[in-house]
Amino acid sequence: MSDPLLSIRGLRIASRLDSGENTILSGLDLDLAAGETLGIVGESGSGKSISARAVVGLLPEGVHATGEIRYGGRDLLSLDRRALQRVRGSEIAMIFQDPFTMLNPLMRCGQQITGLLRDDRGKRLGRDARRAAAEQRLAEVGISDPGVVDAYPFELSGGMRQRVGIAAALALDPKLVIADEPSTALDVTTQKEILGRLKELQQSRGMGLILITHDLRVAFGMCDRIAVLYAGGLLEQAPAEAVEEAPRHPYTLGLLLCEPPGDRRLAELSVIPGSVPQPDEVAGACRFAARCEWCRPECTAGEPPLLEVGPGRLSACIREAEIADEMAAARAAASQRGHLELAARERAPLVEVREVSKLFGGRHGGREVAALQRVSIELGAGESVGLVGESGSGKTTLGRCLLGLETPTSGSIVVDGIEASDYQALPAAQRRELRRTVQMVFQDPYSTLNPVRTIGTTLAEALTVHEPRLRNVRDRVGELLERVGLPAAYAARKPSALSGGQRQRVAVARALAANPRLIVCDEAVSALDVSVQAQILNLLVSVREQTGVSYLFITHDLAVVRQIVDRIYVLRHGEIVEAGPADAVLDRPQHPYTRSLVASVPRADGSWLAAGADPAPAAEVLTERLGTVSTGTGPVAEEE
Amino acid sequence: MTALSEQQPPRAIGAFRRRRRRRRPPLLILICIAIVGLVVICAVTGTLLAPHDPDLQDLGSSLQGPSASHLLGTDDSGRDILSRIVAGARSGFVGPLVVVIGAATIGTTLGLIAGYRGGWRDTLIMRTADLVFALPGLLVAIVVLGVLGGGYWTAVAVLTVLIAPSDTRIVRGAALAQRELPYVDAARTLGLSRRRIMFRHIFPNLLPLIVANAFLNFAQSLVALSALSFLGLGVSPGEADWGRMLSDNLQLIEDNPLAALAAGAALVVTATSMNLLGDWMYERLSDRGRAR
Repeated sequence: MSDPLLSIRGLRIASRLDSGENTILSGLDLDLAAGETLGIVGESGSGKSISARAVVGLLPEGVHATGEIRYGGRDLLSLDRRALQRVRGSEIAMIFQDPFTMLNPLMRCGQQITGLLRDDRGKRLGRDARRAAAEQRLAEVGISDPGVVDAYPFELSGGMRQRVGIAAALALDPKLVIADEPSTALDVTTQKEILGRLKELQQSRGMGLILITHDLRVAFGMCDRIAVLYAGGLLEQAPAEAVEEAPRHPYTLGLLLCEPPGDRRLAELSVIPGSVPQPDEVAGACRFAARCEWCRPECTAGEPPLLEVGPGRLSACIREAEIADEMAAARAAASQRGHLELAARERAPLVEVREVSKLFGGRHGGREVAALQRVSIELGAGESVGLVGESGSGKTTLGRCLLGLETPTSGSIVVDGIEASDYQALPAAQRRELRRTVQMVFQDPYSTLNPVRTIGTTLAEALTVHEPRLRNVRDRVGELLERVGLPAAYAARKPSALSGGQRQRVAVARALAANPRLIVCDEAVSALDVSVQAQILNLLVSVREQTGVSYLFITHDLAVVRQIVDRIYVLRHGEIVEAGPADAVLDRPQHPYTRSLVASVPRADGSWLAAGADPAPAAEVLTERLGTVSTGTGPVAEEE
Repeated sequence: MTALSEQQPPRAIGAFRRRRRRRRPPLLILICIAIVGLVVICAVTGTLLAPHDPDLQDLGSSLQGPSASHLLGTDDSGRDILSRIVAGARSGFVGPLVVVIGAATIGTTLGLIAGYRGGWRDTLIMRTADLVFALPGLLVAIVVLGVLGGGYWTAVAVLTVLIAPSDTRIVRGAALAQRELPYVDAARTLGLSRRRIMFRHIFPNLLPLIVANAFLNFAQSLVALSALSFLGLGVSPGEADWGRMLSDNLQLIEDNPLAALAAGAALVVTATSMNLLGDWMYERLSDRGRAR
């Protein structure tokens, strides 16, 4: 390998506090060759995004970096603002996660792309040349509709915005592109498209690409080399196929095993116990020691060095050689674990949704948007049913209708014999009965718990609202907490002192307080890290085994839904396009939309990207754009 | 159970939070706290703290400049200025306090109803609030007090009604934002009553805003009440009140300028301190319980 394009040595990032420093990342060494794709993989708090920001000099206030970042013979960390500004954009470009905030809302898309373009003599381009350039750049990212040049970002869908964002980032032909979770906020089908484009552009232009992601499967599909970050340090670095084949660090192995397999259902998912620690808590020892099953005293005796364990392979596990066989065995055992066959059972119906439609807007002369169109679903007692679809498909709206958070425009919902389509119209006793029967677990564990109340107060309220004369509330709260795997002492804590996974456990406990017969889980694990996601999925499965509660599991993630539901409904634009037993729908999808969904799920072998490179037909792009113009103003857009 | 090992991380987060919360406030805020504290002490202890009886007239020693026995001199009736400033803290503090508490109670209740319930209640409450808001406050107070014949507590009542709409607006806006948050949906799915959701769930989250706004309102009503007293519509003539002293002693500006200026300074300093404290407190309180 000749001189690397980018070379990071001993990078340490810390934030200053009143008393001392808070380490975010330390001792990072990385190289990137020209034209190479490096994947930086890690869970939240691993320091992956902040290291990318250090490269382009965009650290947030109060955070500073030391070490060396060499690019083109210069140390980027020692450059002044002006010199850095010349490097940014023209030589190193960054693509951010959120396509909604990355573009200036007041500038037309064309301007954002061509704003910095200059001709050979350093002059600004003329009007026509700018337009031509913008159209050409947009065509490169798969937008063949020239009207987008004049569109404002808010007129476009998330996927379109991310495409425009990529076009803008690549406009100056940078040599290095850093993409920070570029597809995380997008639907799977769009994700596949965008990543395919990015890969294609990177290869045709010979750019270096650093892809930051939490999703190992995405990294395997996109990258030549993978670096695994954990709690602010590098644990493993190796060629992508090598990691996929045989990880050489227990954490990487754990991440691979936690990932719910897309092709079969497991009786129980593997988990990494605990959650990601703060870098300072694990300083001076192996960062992963506390959660590692192979941990020995020598692991915590000092920070393990990165050892060369093969050609181009580094691992920060000092016991790597000893445990290699055991790790391989664990991997093999996991892949051997067979598919759990679900016995079809006759179940008494618990929920019957008949021809429910929900329209939003339409008042004050506004446009009406149909979030649900004559949707019918059924759910048996003790059954777990999945509701799958992309954003805007109406899946969340249907869940909210079941809970009385929305009232359907037409149609009927019968829950346990009670007509529940309009909660407000029900007599109080029946409404109470319904609230006891149906409970919900929400997506974002950070905002569904009232931030000013303790966990105990929240749970006690959930208990007493249904049984006002309940006496031993404290004991019952403790019981609830223990049932979801938390110590009873957590009752005294506020939500801010809990990790994301712990909060989601509390949310499950709150739903269980009423002894419900149905829990609606709206993207209940989507906001969690992979290792924590598996814990919560296992918890949900075991809760169902113990209590016989039914689930309506709303999600966009097909691999997750397979692990937890018996039957699946696929929603698209507010209509059910396919329904059936989970295995049948996922293995033998009938509807073309379901087929494209299943094909878009990231797979480790990267073959899933191959089909994504063909240009999107103009008509489809146009409808995507118009579709968003009409729904973007309605409440449907707020759904996710 | 695998989850039990999840116990470690929060401890560190907790320690980090505690460390931050114990941080000392900046010097300016310490000064403000000292000033407000002094005013409160004066208001509570009243004349006990004053070196002289604030109402004792001693025509033999009228219009003196500062001296050892009268630190700020005396007015035209020979009353000790310093003692009158100390005694004036009571009407300077109690009145605005009542205004602020009254306005916050009315404003929070109406604002929560308007923001959380919406619909015709929102329209009714907010249009009324807009109407009151649109009136020139001090002018209305002058007219109303002129008709009703003035008096300190009447002025307090009128100001309460005039200030409540600003609380209503702020609380409504914040309640609208909170209403959309998932924790409110979660409370609704639990089957909690509307009143409980409004006052037990949303209200505590708005408290920092309400408290901070109370401080700002306090400064405003202190100035307004003093202005009314200055105009002769608040406290009765002769009483120890900063606004009243300012107007009574203005004509003595050449004999003992401190007689008027000290009262004015007390007003300005107290109002400014309250404003600064309100801003600072808002920042601090809104940090509390924040997720990250």
